[in-house]
Amino acid sequence: MIPLQDATGFQATRWPELVAALALALLIVVWIVRTRRSSDVFVRRIPGLEAVEEAVGRATEMGRPVLFIPGMDSMDETGTLAAVNILGQVAARTARYETRLLVPCRDPIVTNVAQEVVRAAYTAEGRPDLYRADDVRYETYGQFAYAIAVQGIMLRERPATNFFFGRYYAESLIMAETGNLTGAIQIAGTDSDSQLPFFICACDYTLIGEELYAGSVYLSREPRLLGTLKAQDMAKAIVIVALLLGSLATATHLWTRP
Amino acid sequence: MPRPWWEHALRLDRRLLFVAVALAVAIPVLFPLGLPVVPGKESRDFFAALEQLQPGDVILFSFDYEADSRAEMDPMTRVVWRYCLGRGVRIIALTNYAGGPGVAEPYIELATKQLGQVYGEDVVFLGYNPDYSGTILRLGESFRATFPADQYGRSTADFPLLQRANRYADTKLIVTIAASSLAEYWTIWAHGKYDAKVIAGATAIQAVHLYPYYQTGQVSGFLGGLKGAAELERLAELPGDATRGMDSQTTGHAVIVLFILLGNVAYFAQRRRKS
Amino acid sequence: MKTTLPILFGFLVGLVMFVQYFFSHPSLQRTYNLVLDWKQIVFGMMLILGTIGLVRHHGVRIQRRERAWGYSAVTLSGLVAVILAGVGGGVQGGPYAWSFENVQSPMQSTIFALLAFYVASAAYRAFRARTVHATLLLCAGIIVMLGRVSIGEMLGFSVGDARYSLAGLSGWILDVPNLAAKRGILIGVGLGVSATALKILLGIERSYLGKGD
Repeated sequence: MIPLQDATGFQATRWPELVAALALALLIVVWIVRTRRSSDVFVRRIPGLEAVEEAVGRATEMGRPVLFIPGMDSMDETGTLAAVNILGQVAARTARYETRLLVPCRDPIVTNVAQEVVRAAYTAEGRPDLYRADDVRYETYGQFAYAIAVQGIMLRERPATNFFFGRYYAESLIMAETGNLTGAIQIAGTDSDSQLPFFICACDYTLIGEELYAGSVYLSREPRLLGTLKAQDMAKAIVIVALLLGSLATATHLWTRP
Repeated sequence: MPRPWWEHALRLDRRLLFVAVALAVAIPVLFPLGLPVVPGKESRDFFAALEQLQPGDVILFSFDYEADSRAEMDPMTRVVWRYCLGRGVRIIALTNYAGGPGVAEPYIELATKQLGQVYGEDVVFLGYNPDYSGTILRLGESFRATFPADQYGRSTADFPLLQRANRYADTKLIVTIAASSLAEYWTIWAHGKYDAKVIAGATAIQAVHLYPYYQTGQVSGFLGGLKGAAELERLAELPGDATRGMDSQTTGHAVIVLFILLGNVAYFAQRRRKS
Repeated sequence: MKTTLPILFGFLVGLVMFVQYFFSHPSLQRTYNLVLDWKQIVFGMMLILGTIGLVRHHGVRIQRRERAWGYSAVTLSGLVAVILAGVGGGVQGGPYAWSFENVQSPMQSTIFALLAFYVASAAYRAFRARTVHATLLLCAGIIVMLGRVSIGEMLGFSVGDARYSLAGLSGWILDVPNLAAKRGILIGVGLGVSATALKILLGIERSYLGKGD
């Protein structure tokens, strides 16, 4: 059998992926155009995101900082992109309420991006003086060394609010349980479904899967992001219909797997 | 007035729980129970992929874990290396973790010093590359271009093994022992783009991710956690730490379940009292 | 220009990577390989930047004698010691390998082992049959916890040649309801990932530039 990479021209076996990608791109463009004309688009209530404002307010009242963990992965992961988007929204609120924001990072690239995002958010709120470069810093790349570093920050700084957004692995429970011990209000959002049970046990609110991706859309209500969210929902509806039809066809032997 | 028993149970000092779990795990280490291990379908398929290898076949092995997951992952690695090298299968190894070389070094020594394998002909350790996504994709095109030098600084163009096998299509199997989502990424990129055959060993938590890929045949078999490692030891008839560790895991789980049940009994007792 | 150039660059590189997946041609292949090579170089350079940032942060803490500056001194000493051990003694054997086997490995394993205790305390606190859903979760959790260890094999009965055990029930839970839920989440996440990738390609998503939305 000729390895796929040695074939030349159009890879005919991959036509379903090409059709799906082009269809999704078309849906995104169409919906962005629609939401630009009218951004009155229904997005269902997501309790975890509704609680962000209240959580930052709690930290302000208690005079304690807010801790934001942007996940364990680098910027090429969608979960991290979503987390950094939400970080911008959280940073805007902490700047507005003059609350200290701590963002320990595991990845060097994420650190640079997080610093830019937080600085830009503080500047946009007219409070560039409140930005502290030391508070948005690189800790270590070691998975558990990072978890222990975060644990140390939680026990020393005693943040009133902890945000866990992004992609997580086995270290998630160490951080979430420690945060629970310190009495902080905790909001988590991850697309790592293996870590969801731990966050659900230890956090007050948990965003599941694509609720994380909807996060920055929900908080900013930016039309082009709303359009993308609607396009995703529409694509999911198409997939559900296809799954139902396919299951029915297979169950009734109208179609058999080649 | 003394507090009812269920109040004590619901307010249990977590340190008592920690001590109970510690004892449950430690005692079987000192006094082994010899509890049975029955291989499941996923482990049998993992082993079947190894059994299909012939002498002279080349596999790509990825150490996708560090020192923290050694207890769960090393038993899997040990069996795969001993089994494959014992059958004359050649191994090209690499790692996507910064701490991976430290974990891999004992196996390179095992191969070259204990099992008489020739470095460069029977086994090569390419080393660590920080960009896992780029590495997995680039390896599909050329091992030598992805790793111009091996872990020890020697040019990979000089190794007979890498002249024979320079991309996924030249290997029979990719084996990833992964403590993170890397097992998924190998499946998605190496199998999805290059049609490479992939089997994976994963931690118990990460193994849950592999069920959808296993059901569709994208991953040909996988091991889940210490139990998976023990099942592999049983299938390969190479008993080791995983089989011994299952006693501790069993008693540990049993103690946690007992405490959960205690907590629920106390909860219902409290509810009855309140109503 | 500061924003337009990276977006344009991202679009062009993304387009090449997208097209080469569906069309094979030597020139596309060469470009694809070049992009991957550069990706590895950039990633390697970022690690160096991260190390510089780490040294700077802890160096300032030591210089200013900030609270708990001693830990910063330990961090930097460890960094220097391991570098010297590796450069001086090589990575095979010697002090570098010794420090990995006798310092790093036990420390990392210990932290990982802590998880067992955190799981126990979190499970004891959270697994209460408060509602129907919570009860279902509790039952499934107990079945899988016991089914995945030797007890699961021992708790069962045989009917003829067939064996029905807790391990089998645990396997069914993982193979059917768990897989269905997992696949549902995977499809949703997959759509999210695809949409985000397309947004980056089309220049709609700009958070990677550090400007947030």
